[in-house]
Amino acid sequence: MRTKLFTLIMIVSILLSACGGAATTAAPATQAPAPATQAPAQSATTSPAAAQPTTAPAVPVTMSFDAWSYGVETVADNIKKFEALNPNITINFTDSSWLQFHDTMVAAFTSGSSPDLLESSDAWLAEWASAGWLAPLDQYCPNTVAYAKDLAPYALEGMTYNGHIYGLSYYADTMDFMYNDTLLQKGGFTTPPATLDDLYNQAVQLKAKGVNQYPIIFAWSQQEGAFPEAWMSLIYAQHQGGNAFFDNNLAPVFNLPGSDAYNVSEWLRKSYAAGLIDPVSLSTAEIDQVKSMQAGSHTFTIAPQYNMAELNAPNSGNYAGQFKIALMPGPSHAGVGYVRFYAMTPEVVKAGQAYIDAACKFMDYFGGTTNGQYIVVKRWAVENGLGFAQLPLFDDPDVLAAFSKWGDVPTIKQNATLARVQEGLTPYSAQWMTYSVAEIQKGILGQESSTDMLNNMADEWNTLKGK
Amino acid sequence: MAIEQTIKKQSYRKKNRIFEGLYPFGSILPAAIIVLLFTIYPLIYAVRVSFYKNILTQPNSHPFIGLKNFSDVITSYYFKTSLINTSIYTLVVVAGVIVFGLVVATLLNTKIRSVGVLKIIILLPWAIPAVVAGLMWKWVLNSDFGILNSLLYSFGIIKSYIPFLGDPILARIALIIADIWKEGPLAAIFILSGLQLIPTELNEAARIDGGNGLSIFRHITLPLLRPILMVVLVYETMTAILTFDIVYVMTGGGPGDATSLLSWFAYAEIFKFLNLGGGVALAIIIALITLLLIILYLLALRTEDTVSGG
Repeated sequence: MRTKLFTLIMIVSILLSACGGAATTAAPATQAPAPATQAPAQSATTSPAAAQPTTAPAVPVTMSFDAWSYGVETVADNIKKFEALNPNITINFTDSSWLQFHDTMVAAFTSGSSPDLLESSDAWLAEWASAGWLAPLDQYCPNTVAYAKDLAPYALEGMTYNGHIYGLSYYADTMDFMYNDTLLQKGGFTTPPATLDDLYNQAVQLKAKGVNQYPIIFAWSQQEGAFPEAWMSLIYAQHQGGNAFFDNNLAPVFNLPGSDAYNVSEWLRKSYAAGLIDPVSLSTAEIDQVKSMQAGSHTFTIAPQYNMAELNAPNSGNYAGQFKIALMPGPSHAGVGYVRFYAMTPEVVKAGQAYIDAACKFMDYFGGTTNGQYIVVKRWAVENGLGFAQLPLFDDPDVLAAFSKWGDVPTIKQNATLARVQEGLTPYSAQWMTYSVAEIQKGILGQESSTDMLNNMADEWNTLKGK
Repeated sequence: MAIEQTIKKQSYRKKNRIFEGLYPFGSILPAAIIVLLFTIYPLIYAVRVSFYKNILTQPNSHPFIGLKNFSDVITSYYFKTSLINTSIYTLVVVAGVIVFGLVVATLLNTKIRSVGVLKIIILLPWAIPAVVAGLMWKWVLNSDFGILNSLLYSFGIIKSYIPFLGDPILARIALIIADIWKEGPLAAIFILSGLQLIPTELNEAARIDGGNGLSIFRHITLPLLRPILMVVLVYETMTAILTFDIVYVMTGGGPGDATSLLSWFAYAEIFKFLNLGGGVALAIIIALITLLLIILYLLALRTEDTVSGG
C-alpha cells in the first residue's frame, strides 16, 4: 500500500517536472559561428539617403532575425559590427535552408513564433503582407522612402505592396544566361546564342561533337525558388514589352494561341526530347547546378547573376575564369529581375517604440546607409558578387573592380536595364507557382501538351484569383 | 476502548478500500493526461478545423463550411493521381519489405557466431531518421557525383550517368528502394522473433517425412508466421501510406507529379497552398483509408482463422 502510494507520488512528480520544463520559454535561437572578420573596402561613393542617428536607444533590446542559409558567416559578422555600433541592441540570428524558407516562415507566422526581423523575397511579399505577417516599413522607419530614390525600378516594385514599401534590399539580381566559353569554342562557336533557335542548334552541335552529353542544365527542382524566375526569363526574352503573362486586369494571356509561353514550352519539350537538356534539371537546385557547370558537364545554363563569382572564382575548377554572361536568348533579351530584402514583422510594432527604433536602425545598417555609405550591400557585392538594387553602387570603383573579375560589367549593367519584375505578384502568386512548377515539368517531360499545360495553369490562376 | 479501536480499524479499512479502488486510475492518470493533451485533443481539434474554411492568410475569417473541404480535396486536380501513386507505392513497398524481412530473418536464424552482431547492425537503417536516410540516398543517386552512378560506370554497366531522380519512373523506383532499405530491417527483426518461436522439432519431423526446404517453408514456417506477418503487414502499410520525409527530401514530389503521394499533398495544402482546412481534411481522409485497410486485414485474418478452425 505504501509502496503504491510512493510509486504514484513519483509518477506525478516526474510528470510535473517534465511539464514545468516544457513550460519554459522557447529554446534560444541558433547562433551562427563567429566568422573571420574582413572589413569591406571603403569607397568615395556616397548616397543621398538621410543621415544616421548616432545614439542607441536607452532600453536594451533583443530581437530575433531569421534568414536563409547563405553567407551565414558574413551575416553573423555584419550583426557583430552592428551590435558594436549599437551596444543596447542584441540580434539573435537563426538561419534555415533557402529551399524550405517559405514553408518554415509560414509555420513560424501561423504558430505565433514569428521572428522580429527576417529576410524575404518579392515572390512572397504580396502573400505575406496581405496576411499581415509583415509590417510596412515606410510607416515606421522614416528613412525608407528616402532610400527608394536610389533603387532600381524593378527592385522597388518588388518591395512594394499596396503602395507601401515593406523592406530594404541587400540583394537584387537578374536571371542571366551563362555559358562556358571554352566548351563553346570547342563546339566551333565564337559567340553565344542570340535566340532560342541558336541555342538549340549550338547545343545540337556540342552534343554531336561529344563536348557535352547534355549541353544545357537548369536548376528546376520543384523546391528551387529560382525555377519560376528562370522559366519566366526565357519567356520575357521572346516578348517585347509587358504583359507576357497577364493583362492589366491580371487575366492570363500566356495560354493564348501562339503566345511566347507556348513557344518556349514547345522549345523546352523539343530540347529535352533531343537530349539537349540534362534530365536531372528537374531535380536539381542551384548549388548542384553550379557544381555541374564547374565540372564542365554542361555549356549553357540560366542562373542568378551572382553565381558568376563562384563559377569564376580562382581554383574553383578546371574552367574557373572561363564562364561568361550573355544576354538572354530572344528578340528582347529581357529577363527577370528580383529582389531579396530585410523586412520586419508586426511583432516589432507590438513590442513598442524602442523595438521599432532598433528595427529601423537594423534596416538602416543592413539595407541602407551608414555614414552615407551602403556598407553591407557593398560588402555583399564586393565579397560575394551579389547584385544590388542601389544604383549608385554601379559607380563604385571597388564594386566595379570586383565585378570585372568574374563578369563583363557592361553586360551585367545591360541585363539590369532589361530586367523586369515577375508579373502577377499577388497574394496567391506563390501558390500558383507551386502548382505551376509541377505542370511545367510535366510539359517538359511530354506528359501533357503545352496547350494543356498552359490552360491548366491559367485555370488554376483563375481559381485562386476567384477565391 | 475496544469499540474505539474497532471504529478506527473500520474507518482505516474503508479508507484503504477507497484508496485501493482509486489507485489504478491514479496510476494511469499521468499517461492519460499526456495522451489527452498530445493525441486526443489535437485529433479532435483537427477534425473540427476540417469543417471550417481556414486559409492561413485570412486569420480572421473561419466560417463553417461542413464537408466542403473534403469534397474540394477529393475533386482536386491532384487527388486521383496521388491516390494511384500512393496505392502503387504502398503495394510495392509493403511487398518488398516483407520479402526483405523474410529473407534476412531466415539468414539471421542460423547458429553462426556473428549473428548477434549482425542483428544489431541490420537495425541501423531503421534507426536512422527518415530525413537523414533520404539525404543519404539522394547523394548516392546523384547523377553527377553519386556513388551508384560511379560504380556502375566503373564496372562498365552503364555508358553514362543516369538521372535517377530526374526521370519519373526511376524516381519512383528510387523512393521505393530507399523506403524498403529503411523499413526492411524492422520487419526482419519481427519475423526473426517469429521464426525463433517455431519449434525445431516440427522442421525435423517434416524432413523425416521427406519435406524439402521449400515445402517446409510453405507448410510449416509461413502458417506459423502468419500472426507476425499480419503485424508487419499492418504496420508497414501504415508507414507506407504515411511516407512523407523521404519524398520531401529526395524528390519534393517531382519530377512532375511522379512521386507526389497523398501525404505530400497534405503538407502542400497547408504550407504551399496555405489551406489549413483542406490539408487537415486530406490528412483525415488518409487516416480513414489507413483505418479501412487495417480493418480489412484483420477481417481477412479472422476469416482465415475461422475457416482453418484456429
